[in-house]
Amino acid sequence: QQQAAQGQGYYGGSEQYPAQQPAYGQQQPMQYPPVNQLADQFGHMGLGGQKPFALHTANLVATPPNPLELLMPPPEIRLPPGASITDSPAANADPSYMRSTINVVPTTYQLLNKSKLPFSLVLTPHRTLKSAVNSSVDDPPVPVVTDTVIARCRRCRSYINPYVTFIDGGQRWKCCLCSMSNEVPQMFDWDQARNQPGDRWSRPELTSGAVEFVAPTEYMVRPPQPLVYVFLIDVSHAAVQSGMVATATRTILESLDRIPNDDNRTRISLIAFDTALYFFSLTPGSTETSMLVVSDIDDVFLPKPNDQLVLNLTESRAAVETLLGRLQEMFQDTQIIGSALGPALQAGFQLASTTGGKLITLSASLPTLGVGALKNREDPKILGTPKESALLQAGSPFYKTFAIECSRAQVSVDMFLFAATYTDVASLSCLPHYTSGQTFFYPGFNAARSEDAIKFAHEFGIVLGSQIGLEAVIRVRASRGIHMSAFHGNFFVRSTDLLALPAVPPDQNYVIEISLEETLTTPFVVFQTAVLHTTCFGERRIRVITLALPTTSNISELYASVDQIAVATFLANKAVERTQANKLEDARDMVQKYVTDILGAYKSNMTGGGGAAAAGLAIPTNMQMFPLLALGLLKHVALRQSSQIAPDLRAYAHSLLTTLPSQTLIPYLHPSFYSLHDMPPECGTIGDAGVILPPLLPLTSERLVKHGLFVIEDGQTIFLWVGRDSVPQLIMDVFNLPNYEALRGGKYTLPILDNPFSQRVNAIIGKIREMRRGPYYPALFIVKEDGEPPMRLWALSALIQDRGDQTPSYQQWLGQLKDKLNGSSYN
Amino acid sequence: MSFNVEDIEDRDGVRLSWNVFPSSRIEATRTVVPVAALYNPLKFREDLPPVLYEPVACKPPCRAILNPYCQIDVRGKLWICPFCLQRNAFPPHYKDISNTNLPPELLPKYTTIEYTLSRPAQVPPIFLFVVDTCLDKEELKALCDGIVVSLSLIPPYALVGLITFGTMTQVHELGYAECSKSYVFRGGKEYSPKQIQDMLALSPQNRAAPRPGQPVPQNYGAARFLMPVSQCEFQLTGLLEGLQKDAWPVANDKRPLRCTGVALSVAVGLLESTFPNTGARIMLFAGGPATEGPGLVVGNELREPIRSHHDIDRDSVKHFKRSSKFYEGLAKRASTNGHVVDLFAGCLDQVGLLEMKSLPNSTNGNIVLADSFATSIFKQAFLKMFAKGDDGHLQMGLNATFDVQCTKELKVSGLIGHAVSINKKSACVGETEIGIGGTSAWKVCALMPRTALAVYFEVVTPAGQSLQPGTRGLIQFVTHYQHASGQMRLRVTTLARNFVDGTSPSLSVSFDQEAAAALMARVAVFKAEIDDSPDVLRWLDRMLIRLCQKFADYRKEDPSSFRLSDNFSIYPQFMFHLRRSQFLQVFNNSPDETAFYRHVMNEEDVNNSLIMIQPTLMSYALDQPQPQPVLLDSMSVKPDVILLLDTFFHILIFHGETIAQWRKAGYHEQEGYENLKELLSLPVADAQDLLVDRFPIPRYIVCDQHGSQARFLTSKLNPSTTHMSQGMYGTSSGGGSGAAIFTDDVSLQVFMEALKRLAVGAATQ
Ligand SMILES: [Zn+2]
Ligand SMILES: [Zn+2]
Repeated sequence: QQQAAQGQGYYGGSEQYPAQQPAYGQQQPMQYPPVNQLADQFGHMGLGGQKPFALHTANLVATPPNPLELLMPPPEIRLPPGASITDSPAANADPSYMRSTINVVPTTYQLLNKSKLPFSLVLTPHRTLKSAVNSSVDDPPVPVVTDTVIARCRRCRSYINPYVTFIDGGQRWKCCLCSMSNEVPQMFDWDQARNQPGDRWSRPELTSGAVEFVAPTEYMVRPPQPLVYVFLIDVSHAAVQSGMVATATRTILESLDRIPNDDNRTRISLIAFDTALYFFSLTPGSTETSMLVVSDIDDVFLPKPNDQLVLNLTESRAAVETLLGRLQEMFQDTQIIGSALGPALQAGFQLASTTGGKLITLSASLPTLGVGALKNREDPKILGTPKESALLQAGSPFYKTFAIECSRAQVSVDMFLFAATYTDVASLSCLPHYTSGQTFFYPGFNAARSEDAIKFAHEFGIVLGSQIGLEAVIRVRASRGIHMSAFHGNFFVRSTDLLALPAVPPDQNYVIEISLEETLTTPFVVFQTAVLHTTCFGERRIRVITLALPTTSNISELYASVDQIAVATFLANKAVERTQANKLEDARDMVQKYVTDILGAYKSNMTGGGGAAAAGLAIPTNMQMFPLLALGLLKHVALRQSSQIAPDLRAYAHSLLTTLPSQTLIPYLHPSFYSLHDMPPECGTIGDAGVILPPLLPLTSERLVKHGLFVIEDGQTIFLWVGRDSVPQLIMDVFNLPNYEALRGGKYTLPILDNPFSQRVNAIIGKIREMRRGPYYPALFIVKEDGEPPMRLWALSALIQDRGDQTPSYQQWLGQLKDKLNGSSYN
Repeated sequence: MSFNVEDIEDRDGVRLSWNVFPSSRIEATRTVVPVAALYNPLKFREDLPPVLYEPVACKPPCRAILNPYCQIDVRGKLWICPFCLQRNAFPPHYKDISNTNLPPELLPKYTTIEYTLSRPAQVPPIFLFVVDTCLDKEELKALCDGIVVSLSLIPPYALVGLITFGTMTQVHELGYAECSKSYVFRGGKEYSPKQIQDMLALSPQNRAAPRPGQPVPQNYGAARFLMPVSQCEFQLTGLLEGLQKDAWPVANDKRPLRCTGVALSVAVGLLESTFPNTGARIMLFAGGPATEGPGLVVGNELREPIRSHHDIDRDSVKHFKRSSKFYEGLAKRASTNGHVVDLFAGCLDQVGLLEMKSLPNSTNGNIVLADSFATSIFKQAFLKMFAKGDDGHLQMGLNATFDVQCTKELKVSGLIGHAVSINKKSACVGETEIGIGGTSAWKVCALMPRTALAVYFEVVTPAGQSLQPGTRGLIQFVTHYQHASGQMRLRVTTLARNFVDGTSPSLSVSFDQEAAAALMARVAVFKAEIDDSPDVLRWLDRMLIRLCQKFADYRKEDPSSFRLSDNFSIYPQFMFHLRRSQFLQVFNNSPDETAFYRHVMNEEDVNNSLIMIQPTLMSYALDQPQPQPVLLDSMSVKPDVILLLDTFFHILIFHGETIAQWRKAGYHEQEGYENLKELLSLPVADAQDLLVDRFPIPRYIVCDQHGSQARFLTSKLNPSTTHMSQGMYGTSSGGGSGAAIFTDDVSLQVFMEALKRLAVGAATQ
């Protein structure tokens, strides 16, 4: 209805929507000035030299959480002047590559301990390049040093970077990590491309905190491996009936051009499995296929030599297409129940292990046969009890031992899990966990429902098309006195600090805990992450991310530098680790303790304890959202106290919590909540940064109105909440249905209708689906206000400021925290 | 009493060593050659009437079949079983029986009769091809072409299947339309029958229950692997034509990995779980020895040679015992289920037949040894298996059981032939064992028209008692088998012979020396399979001497007085040739060849056996109108003759020196030398005639005197013209037993002289 699109509300109905609270008034995606612009501003403040942080304290009890703060950049890193030899604005890498929980580093362990702040690095070294959510500027690509001149410190093996210093008239350089004096390589100042003297100061490694070196042969133990994808496809009755096989093969077929194959070296192979293994031997240049059935699942072997089963994608394209086109037909009448997933993995391993590669596994049932067979451990009686935690740990040692074997052979495993019933995600996700793969879970998948097919096809297609890295190792080095003490993420810790990653999928997050072992004496310290890997086009490269942080002995500076996003990311990883090592309740206690300890320490360190501040809960303003994020974690399906959460859902959430990059993780803990029926007119139209989203609302059901249309989304799921009194026009405009009664809840594909509101709503949903890093394609659910209770409860559980079944509201929780702090221990 | 043994053979397919029986146990022992029969169960008999009803059998446990020797009471509608003397009532539908209206089984001319049994489910024959893919491209193509041709000869309703093997074994699913599909078994692993069954998904486990109203899918069970030719010929042809050489690389110093053992065990496992106790042939085509997995014959390192007789003799063989044991296990399973294993070798070297021989031996499979699958020896022999009889059906009986019944004075000692015991401990099982004993029934998985089974008997009488002269001994052979048409048939042959006193001339007159030679040859070969060959030769000599002592005319200690009657006269010659034949003298042949020769010996009837024992030699000359049979003697070699030698395994045309020169000069192409041309062509035509019915196909050799191929002839000839020192004979032994007197290269004349001396008891010098 055109005329309705005037004024502030479109579908206001009879009830006038109350004016928004000032805190959220006129919320527009805030345009933050670029970091260096901010720095300039500070520079004009006349403080000169190293600019100290100004610490501001907020009272949590009195300050309602502002979701917008989650979009703000971390506190600025204020390095002493001249810290970077080139003074380049890019000398520190963008926080999306590497960020720290604190942006100044305490000089002593005691200081860190006193603050109770966690010290961790949050890394996503291979994040995708995308236009940032709140910026119209595209991510700049990582500059590449192509001349294979790589200057490294003789002692600590760190790479030359913007924070080194040149000595001896530029003949030598002094390592910023260990102070070692090193020779500048001969060709360092030579422009090999033009064959003339080059400009040292324009070398990317001296100007950019994120840089990639093309590695010479010394960095290879063998020629760079080709990309090898072995598809392991469940073709049991359940898999075929669910439509998984058809959707998967169609998606692979449609993705063949997107699978990285620039050098025509990419090889693929396909093994189907149920209670037996089905190999396919193809003839290059022909479309003939021969299927080889290996039923000897206790003693898996290859029925043909490797080169007849793993085929060059370019040479055997026609045969591969034919096979993919017919796989569904080959098994469409199958009646076989059971899954020899473990043996299939072993077979895939045999195919891939000579080169290294990826086992892309699609499984639609619990593995029942051969090695790695699992039992249905799901028992409703133990959910919500301490015994539940056992279900979140691997049910068979195979999945770890096999994963380590894979890791050694540069084989990575991706798991796409589709079961209608329990499939033991906890066990199966071990493989991606230790082999740097990814887990995807499609509970109750049914391709007959187009939403299911589209979601899977979309995500699978993105994974197939990803520019992954291969045979990688990651090592993080830091200035003397700083040690890497624990590692979180999908990889295998090969030696004390060397992370092995047979594959490096984009946008994977890693968290590294840091310990201080010596007093730091330098004004700033340097962290350097080096990812030695093979690109999917066959080049050996080292991606080096360097981060310099100032040091301080001042605890208030420490608090003022806290990056609450990084802290929440760390805490999510730590909580999952604790769940897997101990119990769910231990993890919850740990989260609670982190929050209490930080608040308590802040109170005693910064407010002198007690006194006037006792009336509230003091926190640095840059950490204001942290308690809510922690509460979001406690209320998350991954950790929540409940006897209703299927272990598979919990386990999958654990997998996401430990792999999602911060940008995607934060909404997963703290969903985004928008009101659509009354959104400002520009929302859903294209602005400078793409589609303009409506203002973010605080996560409380108080904002829901009976005539309203709302979106609640966490990056994995989008709920479209429809108030019971929604006017028929809204229903007609959005759903093309006569009225609210005609609308059905559940998974939904929103029609694109010939009216502006429909198009704006679709634009917003579309934006939500594409704005974050990662392959996820959130499914859309219609939730009717008076619809089915489970669906309503699910959607409402995203409103984490509300009181839940067994969980407190945000305000209640703050009250509990305050009581605790005012108790004996925090006086 | 006179017997025309040929007539009897034509009527009943049987030749007996004695056509009357000695009347006591002691006399039977003295006659040396046991009472024995060489019986052709599928002997073709044109005049046999179709009998489309069930046979009438005596009460259990006798179960003898009604036959012309039964006493019948037409009025009482009763018959008396001559074996157990029980009275049996005729079944109701025999109510119209009278002396002038007798059913054929009671007519004297039908001592052999065949019933077509009514069985509701007729099972088509099954052919499972087991194909070696470690072959050169051309070899593989020739082999596959041959198999493709066979598909057009196999009846359309017969089931066929395909297993290929190399480094691994593949069972091809024929009913699968989407692409070629096969089940793969690891070559180096021994699979249990249960594993094979599970891995081929032959049992319906792990399956979703079909929804109500939905048909049970047909895509599992044996039907996927064994399909009627009519349904899968196209696909199978495509598969065979597209068959590739084994894909696994072979290093220069290695033999290809060939898991013949696994392939056979999978074949046996597939059939035993899907078609137990049903006629089926597993046809193995091997291009080399098994080098991988169970049943390995030789390692895959080329520097390890394949075993020889000398290695086996020295007991320095690595794999032989374990391998043989493996194949024996398979042979037992196959034979128990009535499944035949045929072995076709296309290889210049050995393929491990020695180790595998238990398979064809226990199941009466055919063995064909060819140098290559591209040779006509292979192709013709293979396709000959599918030759059809006048009734349009394949000439093979399958899954047969062979039962012997005899009257109480006779007991069955055993059977020698390609059969296995089914442990029927009936009353007619004797104590003495000859061959496969301890039973009166055997499983014979395949019957060809030429298949001849040797059955040995003993005469049992209470100690010191003889039977009344004129007592009649009866033997009944009952062969139940699956006809190629799918019908079940029962052939019954009933023999009756009189007992006579051991001194009676009618006993010696009834001696069939040809049958006896063939029957004794089987015993000798059977012993040779177990014992050292010198022991067997000594035994054979001892038996011959004793026979001569008993039946020759001579004065004691006067060799010159030694005379043998006509029907014993050539028996010593047969023994002479037998003891120097490849059946007992193995060192000039490979172990595989020995296994092959012995296998064929145990298959053939009297006439063919005699050719094998004593090859025939025909001489062709310009001055004689007809070819003449000549002595198998070096004296028969003359420059102006052409010789045609038939050893059964070889057919050789030998041109004497002069003829060879003429031929080389091309005289026969010139006018005026038509007689030479004709002379040259005659033996060729005769050789072709010999080839027509022969199975396996003999090697055909044309050679000239002094040519290298001529050794095939000279090795068979009696070395009468060589000089052998007379002093060599009889010098080594103390005499009496006659042991070890004869050395390998003695001439027949020397042999006969020694025999005479020993028979008459003359002192040795
Ligand atoms: Zn250093
Ligand atoms: Zn009877």
